[in-house]
Amino acid sequence: MSEFLQFLVAGLKNGSIYALIALGFTIVYSATGAINFAQGEFFMLGGMLCVSFIDLGLPLPIAAAAAIIATAAIGAAFELLAVRPLAGDSPLRIIMVTIGGAVVIRQAALHIFGPDERALAPFTAGASLKAFGVAVEIQTLWIWGLTALAVVVLALLYRRTAFGKAMRATAIRRDAARLVGVNASMMVTVSFALAAGLGALAGVTVAPLTQTAFSVGAGIGVKGFAAAILGGISSPISAVAGGLLLGLLESFAAGYLDPVYKDGVAVIVLLVVLFVSPQGLLARAGRVKV
Amino acid sequence: MNAKTLRALAPLVAVAVAMMVPLLVTDRFVLKVCTFAGINALVVVGLALLFGYAGQVSLGHAAFMGLGAYTCAFCTAKLDWPWLLAFAAAGGVAGLGGLILAIPSLRLKGYYLAMATLGFGLLMSLAFTEAEPITGGVDGFTGIPFPSLGPLEIRSASSLYWLVWAAVGIAVLAAHNITSMRPGRAMRALHGSELGAQACGVDIVGVKVRTFVLSALLAGLAGALYASVVGFVSPSVFTLTASITFIAMAIVGGTSSLAGPILAAVALTLVQYVDALIPGIPRETAQTIQSYQEDIYGLAIVLVVIFAPRGLAGLWRRRGVSGETP
Repeated sequence: MSEFLQFLVAGLKNGSIYALIALGFTIVYSATGAINFAQGEFFMLGGMLCVSFIDLGLPLPIAAAAAIIATAAIGAAFELLAVRPLAGDSPLRIIMVTIGGAVVIRQAALHIFGPDERALAPFTAGASLKAFGVAVEIQTLWIWGLTALAVVVLALLYRRTAFGKAMRATAIRRDAARLVGVNASMMVTVSFALAAGLGALAGVTVAPLTQTAFSVGAGIGVKGFAAAILGGISSPISAVAGGLLLGLLESFAAGYLDPVYKDGVAVIVLLVVLFVSPQGLLARAGRVKV
Repeated sequence: MNAKTLRALAPLVAVAVAMMVPLLVTDRFVLKVCTFAGINALVVVGLALLFGYAGQVSLGHAAFMGLGAYTCAFCTAKLDWPWLLAFAAAGGVAGLGGLILAIPSLRLKGYYLAMATLGFGLLMSLAFTEAEPITGGVDGFTGIPFPSLGPLEIRSASSLYWLVWAAVGIAVLAAHNITSMRPGRAMRALHGSELGAQACGVDIVGVKVRTFVLSALLAGLAGALYASVVGFVSPSVFTLTASITFIAMAIVGGTSSLAGPILAAVALTLVQYVDALIPGIPRETAQTIQSYQEDIYGLAIVLVVIFAPRGLAGLWRRRGVSGETP
């Protein structure tokens, strides 16, 4: 029983991270209909920027906030420089430009931060909590808390503010939104910034547990996409559910079968969902034709 | 001499120049670099058909190359098969891999096809690492014999070069025949508009699957040549980075063209070995160029996609003459 609970905790911990990345995919997808293949690089930038800001002597909360804001700004710049010139173009070109952009971001990180793995100190010191024979690291609580906070803030932003309504209007129908005075192209830029910020938040909160390096973006990007597609790429709520579910699947497969499967699970989930039900398993089927 | 004769002569001149290289170049390392350029060119010919003509993305071509490399290595080193048979088997296994991926991918396009091929590539590179009894795991597969045609073993740098570029030549000839006839028109129709192609009676399912299998097969053959030329295969060769390098070559080379992607494959391969190619180059300069090599690939993709979506081929193709659709 305690073994099961331990796997559950580990799964929900990684799952929260995947959920944040998956949210980034759905936000950009709703605003543009595009998949941003550079999404994982924002996760990497968050962690690496936070480590370097701390090296500069900033206290952790400021360094973390600065890393998230800087990554969001990079996300906006990425949209303006690389994606905007192709707006409304064929998916083929947007895929290519975001892949090329991902390579450029990763290499820039390599040149600026160096090739070494970096670690962050836990946000708050202290021994793991123990209950029912399960150990929960304090940092895991931070991950859950901050993920939950991000999801709630995002939901409020989308549902309760005029700005969020403009975002949703753009997602539903871009030209109609423009007709009623929404600055649709700015909404696209903002959605890239939001997605980048969420990725960075994931990168910052997980860095104390897993170390980070310039090269971690592509792997986490694929897992985040697997989570998004598992839940259904068109809905933020199911993306979060998909993230948690993927984390659990990984954790139980690694725990009960063989640790070898840990990295394979996400890819297998990705392929199975794409081949069987590309609309996602959790979202209402048939709404988006892919 | 008019433009038409020039166009007809250009491939002959290119072949002649390519075949002359071992006679002019004496440095064995430089020759090896040119051999690698040929191996990459072989992969990129397949990608040019898939991406440049049919408009389908693959972010997993390194996996097909790996399938071919490990098949050839296993059949020659462990099963003592004749090299040509192992070479054919490598193409067969990679082609089969392409078929297995292509059939369930049929209803996917655009972003989802790209993600499926990316996922397939990652899964295969995990498999190459984990299937230790066959692949040698992380340590790699050593002791792969040189290629041989019957009793004739090919081991000198110049004959390996000729073998590889002969394979490229045959592949280009085959690809050229395909693209200039009915299947090529069907591919371009698919690239232009899937619905339109279907309405015109193009068997889009067949075209997609056949193009995918053919391009996987060519990557597998390239992998077999790589394994035999180098004598050693490790999973670190067939990664996502390698797949992105290949697609970068295909993008920079341009759409609806074979010459462009081949030229881009050669040029982008040579960048990696700049220190061997320019003898007097200062060590630091060469190292700087090499450490920025992937930046060059990434930037090349972004700039070409934004500013010259038809790539090198689009730049030199005169407007109106060829009447290509974008």
